Amino acid sequence: MDWYAILEFSRGPMFYTALLVFMAGMTYRLFSTILLGWQADRVPNRGSKLRGVAVSYLKGFGIWPFFPWVKGTLSRNPVTYLAGGLFHLGLFVVIFLGTAHMLVWKSLLGFGWPTLALPIIDWLSAVTIVAMIALAINRRINPVLRLISGPAEWTNLIIVFLPMITGYMTTHHLWFRYETLFSLHMLSINLMLIWIPFSRISHFMFYFFSRTFHGAQAGKRAVAP
Amino acid sequence: MSTQDVTRAPVAKTAVDTFVKTTGSWVATQLEACTRCGICAQACHFYEATGNPEFAPVWKVELLRRAYEQRFTPPGKLKVALGLDKPVTDRDIQHWSTIVYEACTLCNKCAMVCPMGIQLGPLIHEVREAMAASQVVPADLVTAIRKQEELGSPLGVTEEMWEERIEWIADEWEVDIPIDVQGAETLVVFTSIEVMKFPENVVAIARILNAAGEKWTISTPGREVVNFGVFEGNPERTKLFMARLFDAARSLGVRRLVVTECGHAYDLLRWTAHNMTDVPVEITHIVAVIDDLLNKGRIKLQAGKYDSLGPIAFHDACKIQRRGGHIQEPRNILRILAPNSFREISPNREESICCGGGGGVIAIQEADPLRYKVFELKMRQMAAAGTKTITMTCANCRLQFTDGIKHFGLDVQVRGLAAMVADALIEE
Repeated sequence: MDWYAILEFSRGPMFYTALLVFMAGMTYRLFSTILLGWQADRVPNRGSKLRGVAVSYLKGFGIWPFFPWVKGTLSRNPVTYLAGGLFHLGLFVVIFLGTAHMLVWKSLLGFGWPTLALPIIDWLSAVTIVAMIALAINRRINPVLRLISGPAEWTNLIIVFLPMITGYMTTHHLWFRYETLFSLHMLSINLMLIWIPFSRISHFMFYFFSRTFHGAQAGKRAVAP
Repeated sequence: MSTQDVTRAPVAKTAVDTFVKTTGSWVATQLEACTRCGICAQACHFYEATGNPEFAPVWKVELLRRAYEQRFTPPGKLKVALGLDKPVTDRDIQHWSTIVYEACTLCNKCAMVCPMGIQLGPLIHEVREAMAASQVVPADLVTAIRKQEELGSPLGVTEEMWEERIEWIADEWEVDIPIDVQGAETLVVFTSIEVMKFPENVVAIARILNAAGEKWTISTPGREVVNFGVFEGNPERTKLFMARLFDAARSLGVRRLVVTECGHAYDLLRWTAHNMTDVPVEITHIVAVIDDLLNKGRIKLQAGKYDSLGPIAFHDACKIQRRGGHIQEPRNILRILAPNSFREISPNREESICCGGGGGVIAIQEADPLRYKVFELKMRQMAAAGTKTITMTCANCRLQFTDGIKHFGLDVQVRGLAAMVADALIEE
């Protein structure tokens, strides 16, 4: 097989098509939900909705294990909390602060930024991969997660796992030739980009709705969100 | 489970139609945000007490999610076409009816732990709405709803019974309870739980308001603050029962309506009513009124009156504290009444664990074993704090605590906060 041709295609036209599908799909998802209609909230406030929203985000991002509102989640759902947290942390750091990835962003946006040294990124990728495996095992054995997991949940997990594992293999030249690994990495990323709008991986967009609403509801009642 | 008349219409169709009708952007964005991480399960007292995965809040909204995805999203439509997702069936509706009515008190503690902040309590209420529309509602709840519709109270207290009872309370405790007074400032609406089972609470509130010189009244047509339409999830009945109160408030010309110890009624009247109907008056809760009277010096209390009782704890009700907002007021009051013996149970405030009897659960006899099981969580909390007296501002919680403590034979006293305040009044 001509892996050079596949690489050219998957990092060229296919990548840009996938990006377009991603953006168009997410735009569709956004508008199809927000155009269903909102009911105006005519309830007189007791506290400040704005303050509630601010606290809601502070709490949402302040998820370090020693914070009081996190302790319960940590002790009751250790795997989901630790593996889930490390997975998100690793994913975002690698995507934005890995040098190779930053260069892709630079080619798309026209500007770049400082990145982390490869060993750090490498180590974080390994952590992320292990975390994803832990999440998968947990999904199999936890009775609640088993009940609520269907084909969609498993597909999402696999589709996010593929770019992670192929990326790791590419930097380490594991088992296959570099151009083969790089092609597989690009193909899996394209697959993920196309898949996101059709799946719950899009929760990163709706996070801002639910978190804002939660904060506003608490804020108007003058309680902590 | 026993439900009323389920053989008639295509139940699932009605339910799904209701889901679709109530699905606005609010519901859609909440459902879309869910990553199915399962963290909400551990926050649910029903799950924690039983370990039944079906009691996970995320699973309680499963039908709503399915209906939403299958009706509104392309992948959902595709999944049904490919046979990958099951359409909602009559059997599903029956099954979930038990879960959402008997194993959920709509306490919304799950929203406090959800990393996405999804409002699971209100979403489960949407599920109940679909159940109500398809008339798959537990029989005991239906009976109570009928009583409230026809007799004016879910406990079956008729106007005559109520009048007699109020007269008896006023005589027995020698307290002045103004009835249907035109031009009063404040309309106080009790629950029939208080009138019938905790009359000392009615007396206490009357004594406090009289001592403060408040111009207040109760109303014969607007005598019941409990609203079983909310428990059922029926917006029409909810509005009907609310209208009785607002009509009474209008005809008496009062400035404000004080909800006494009723959790869901407070959540409804204070935090939902404006989005359903015109609210002619200011709505507040009795615990906020008492705190305000103390701050203004209109009533005075004997400081430390209950310090000799041993550890006193406060139970935060889901609808008056977490969803009501009155977290600080009862604590201010208890710091006066029992500065040395007031102890917090843990978790508390917004993070409090629900008593287990709210949301109509206590009215469903079939749910009793489950309700007692859930109460064990409260027992553990009380034991850990060495509680000898537990106080609260919700009559429904009080019913659950009184019943639970009797059932398990605990050595803990349950006292309404208003009654504690009234007994500590310094009357000039």
